[in-house]
Amino acid sequence: MRLLSQEATQSGAEPEQNAALSNHPLINRRDLVRAALLAGAASALGPAFSFGQSINATTTPAAQGENGAAFLTDPNWKAAFLNEHQNETLIALSDVIIPATDTPGAKEALVNRFLDLLLSVEPAKSQEEFVEALSAMDSASQEQFGKDFRALVLSDQIALLSPWAYPTHTSGWMDREVKPEPVHAHFEKLKGLIASAYYGSEIGQKELGWGQGSNSELYNDCGHATPPTRNTVHEPAHKPAHKSAHK
Amino acid sequence: MAQDALQTRYDAIVVGSGATGGWAAKRLSEAGLKVALLEAGRAVTPQEFTEHMPAYRLKYRGYTPEILRTRPIQRQCYACMEYNYEWFVNDLENPYSTPADKPFTWQRLRILGGRSMVWGRQSYRLSDVDFKAASRDGYDVDWPFSYADLAPYYDIVERYVGISGMAEGNEMLPDGQFLPAMKMTCGEIRLRDSVKKSFGRTITIGRTAVITQDHNGRAACHACGPCERGCRTFSYFSSPFTTVKDAVATGNCTLITDAIVSHVDMDEGANKAQGVTFIHRATKETKQIRAKTVILCAQAMESTRILLNSSTREYAQGLANSSGMLGHHLMDHAVGGGASGTFDDLKMPPNVNPPHRPNGIYVVRFRNTPATGKHPHFIRGYGFQGGAGPEFDMGASGIGAGYKQGVKQGSYGVSMSAFGESLARFANFCDIDPNLKDAWGIPALRISMTHGKNEAALMRDAGSTAAEMLDAAGAKNIQVSTGVEMPGMAIHEVGTARMGNDPKKSVLNAYCQSHDISNVVVADGSGFVSSGCQNPTLTMMAIAVRACDHLIERFKRNEV
Repeated sequence: MRLLSQEATQSGAEPEQNAALSNHPLINRRDLVRAALLAGAASALGPAFSFGQSINATTTPAAQGENGAAFLTDPNWKAAFLNEHQNETLIALSDVIIPATDTPGAKEALVNRFLDLLLSVEPAKSQEEFVEALSAMDSASQEQFGKDFRALVLSDQIALLSPWAYPTHTSGWMDREVKPEPVHAHFEKLKGLIASAYYGSEIGQKELGWGQGSNSELYNDCGHATPPTRNTVHEPAHKPAHKSAHK
Repeated sequence: MAQDALQTRYDAIVVGSGATGGWAAKRLSEAGLKVALLEAGRAVTPQEFTEHMPAYRLKYRGYTPEILRTRPIQRQCYACMEYNYEWFVNDLENPYSTPADKPFTWQRLRILGGRSMVWGRQSYRLSDVDFKAASRDGYDVDWPFSYADLAPYYDIVERYVGISGMAEGNEMLPDGQFLPAMKMTCGEIRLRDSVKKSFGRTITIGRTAVITQDHNGRAACHACGPCERGCRTFSYFSSPFTTVKDAVATGNCTLITDAIVSHVDMDEGANKAQGVTFIHRATKETKQIRAKTVILCAQAMESTRILLNSSTREYAQGLANSSGMLGHHLMDHAVGGGASGTFDDLKMPPNVNPPHRPNGIYVVRFRNTPATGKHPHFIRGYGFQGGAGPEFDMGASGIGAGYKQGVKQGSYGVSMSAFGESLARFANFCDIDPNLKDAWGIPALRISMTHGKNEAALMRDAGSTAAEMLDAAGAKNIQVSTGVEMPGMAIHEVGTARMGNDPKKSVLNAYCQSHDISNVVVADGSGFVSSGCQNPTLTMMAIAVRACDHLIERFKRNEV
């Protein structure tokens, strides 16, 4: 059986949401975020045409209405993959990258628990890469501050991460290419995973405006009558509340 | 299933309940014929639809280990997700083989309605530039009918299905019977207008089988977004809630689910099919059902597989294969070429909330047309699907409050992806793998297909023209792709039982009827002579209706 990582580019084709995640079979799909974006108020049920057959027991847990997110808030939750130090490091890291502001952050969204679940079912190679990336945070922290990352005060955590959080630039002195540190890539990977787990959560969806207002201004033909004038480069009206085209 | 369902001798057996099988069942049963409609999968009900379920309610938010374990091929389809993966075949139970250097991804559903449950819904007519392409460029052969022959059937299908779209008067993409068009975004209008001005090329809103007003008892689309998880208002076209429902309502159609057809049974003395043998999906019991005609609508390669597995002494190389063409000329649109960019001056915040238009824009083919003339490097052409709109930017720089702000600020993206014509080649084929069977003991397919130099040239050119169009529209950060994905990726497989006027060079006549066996009809995508570059389902449905109307006339004349 062939296992392939190519993305389907067909009539639903969309750009990758987060190419940084592409090594992770469960979390490499363009739909991860998009899927999370698409939900809505329950509409009236249409007529049921069962043709005399009841729903087969093989329907997916989702189709059976299971709340798959219940494990996140289980009072007896235990990590399935991460050890305690790794888990605490991930919580600390996620809290610096996506802190609570006027909205809840990654810690409240239990990003660590969701990533732990994904990691527990990932291939060994993906697991090793994650652990390596997390360890790299501690190594850099030890080198600069003589402590593990989770033991740093917030200002030191921010000072450690900030250089990796922005694109590298050529040197301002010599106009030469500056090679990013290897730990930069580890940070990028962790940031991508944390962001994906945060924005895919219920808290993260609300951060993106879920349930607040509608997107009705998006497909407005620029407010012009249909069909619009042809053969002119049109200056669009600037209207808020847009969402990418979903084909 | 009642036993007497199998004792009846039907006028017609229809194998497969998808886009074409649903039409065959509807058309024949409404004409008064007694029809048995066989579906390999189970029935489907709206209660299992999940289009309104947010992904954060799913344990894995999209992709479970179960998908990786049981559907390593199916998961390459964007629609195979934690919500609905069980609609797709289990790859462990439904194997096929390919040569090591010729990967092919075959994405299939076994559920009432088949792939019409999750299809992309884009619906475009072919034109005489496609049907008579060989006369224009000398490659291969023309179809055995012209656009004028098929146009009335396009009308019938479009009026019933409900296709929203806009008339453009472009000879490459004939206009049809459209419901009101969906609207474009500001970025799409900018792209359309500048491309028309700079290149004279036509961009139109996608023509899609999603209804924009109440239609045939179905409610207008409420734009929740993910059609592929089912639609409780039946606003996108899927056969179970339209054609199959109509067929069953006539009282003339018996629907039999969980019936995996293994082969056609022949009355060898009369050189006629007398029915089919099927295996019950769950019990694995073997059963037979009898009819005056057999109509295969199982999906191009599945229908061909049934014929290949129906060999007799007379047809040792597969039933209805005296031409030796059965299984050959497999096609699937070339995909992979395109470009993306951003409209940086459009400052519009992305929005997570509906409406989510289940549609994009379409760039009409502009290569090797009567208007643009012959291209020096390749024959045939491609169209683009695309779109433009604000997107959240998970890749925003920084950490903390600034990062959160950057994600929400987003960027205004624009992209287009090409679908290129896949040339019909004898060397691209499927046959029976002598060493491979599915979980029901039915010999499985060996698929051998590669895209060739012409497809590669089309996708290279598509990357280039996509970039020039985005550039002309003022897009920044343009990224180009020029590669060709492996065959199967477009999920537009057609061919393998081509139509034609010459029985020595084709499997089916112009009405999808076997040249060899007069009461065997193959009315799905198998009969395509060429692939065009347009999404094939609309044409498949029109061809199926035409084949059925021809069959009904033969019944009226007592020729069956």
